[in-house]
Amino acid sequence: MSDDNEIKKTAKRQKEQKTTNLSPIKLELVVTVVEKKKADFYADLIQSFGANVQIKVLSKGTASESVLDYLGLAETDKITLFSVVRKDKIKPLMETLEEKFRTIKKGRGISAVVPLSSVIGKLAFGFLSGEQRMIEGD
Amino acid sequence: MGEHTHEMVFCIINSGFSETVMDAAKEAGARGGTVMSGHGTANKEAEEKFGIPIQSDKEILMIIVKKELKDDVLSAIYKVAGVDSPSRGIVFSLPVSATAGIKD
Repeated sequence: MSDDNEIKKTAKRQKEQKTTNLSPIKLELVVTVVEKKKADFYADLIQSFGANVQIKVLSKGTASESVLDYLGLAETDKITLFSVVRKDKIKPLMETLEEKFRTIKKGRGISAVVPLSSVIGKLAFGFLSGEQRMIEGD
Repeated sequence: MGEHTHEMVFCIINSGFSETVMDAAKEAGARGGTVMSGHGTANKEAEEKFGIPIQSDKEILMIIVKKELKDDVLSAIYKVAGVDSPSRGIVFSLPVSATAGIKD
């Protein structure tokens, strides 16, 4: 009986240890929609905030045909950028994006951040978060 | 920034229905959206089981709305593009923790 209790206690301790071993680094998914021609500029900008993984998806804005005809515009081609960024870099990144969206000619866009709840794999997490120690297996 | 003020609404629909969905969303207060192309992966067995033929060319419509408008936008989209409509829409939203470039 006492053995059973001991096993339960050990399992509980291990479970607690596992929980505390979770990384304090949180990751977020930054979704940015910009004009197609400015996509590379914004991808480089987001990369400078530590985004190791970015996915570019060709997209279209939803202005209707009638509005486009009225404004004399031919296309609504956009690029949606999905970038994984560490939570501690989000504030400076969003401030920079906000400023660039306002000041760069034809560089308007929108960006929104969605928290990631989990990532599986130490190497994948190290890569996404830019934690060199995890990639080296420390 | 910091508090959760917006929601990202995703709507996965059959190709060609994005304008219908966007019109409904705009009527509920949304201002604009972005459409991406995709390819559905539902299998034949599921199609037969539920009696829903799956068109594999999809559009993914992404709309960022204020948190208080989210419910109205979701139900407006669901009315015109629910899973039992020709667009076979799947609609869900994610919380947004920060934004840039979105005017209030």
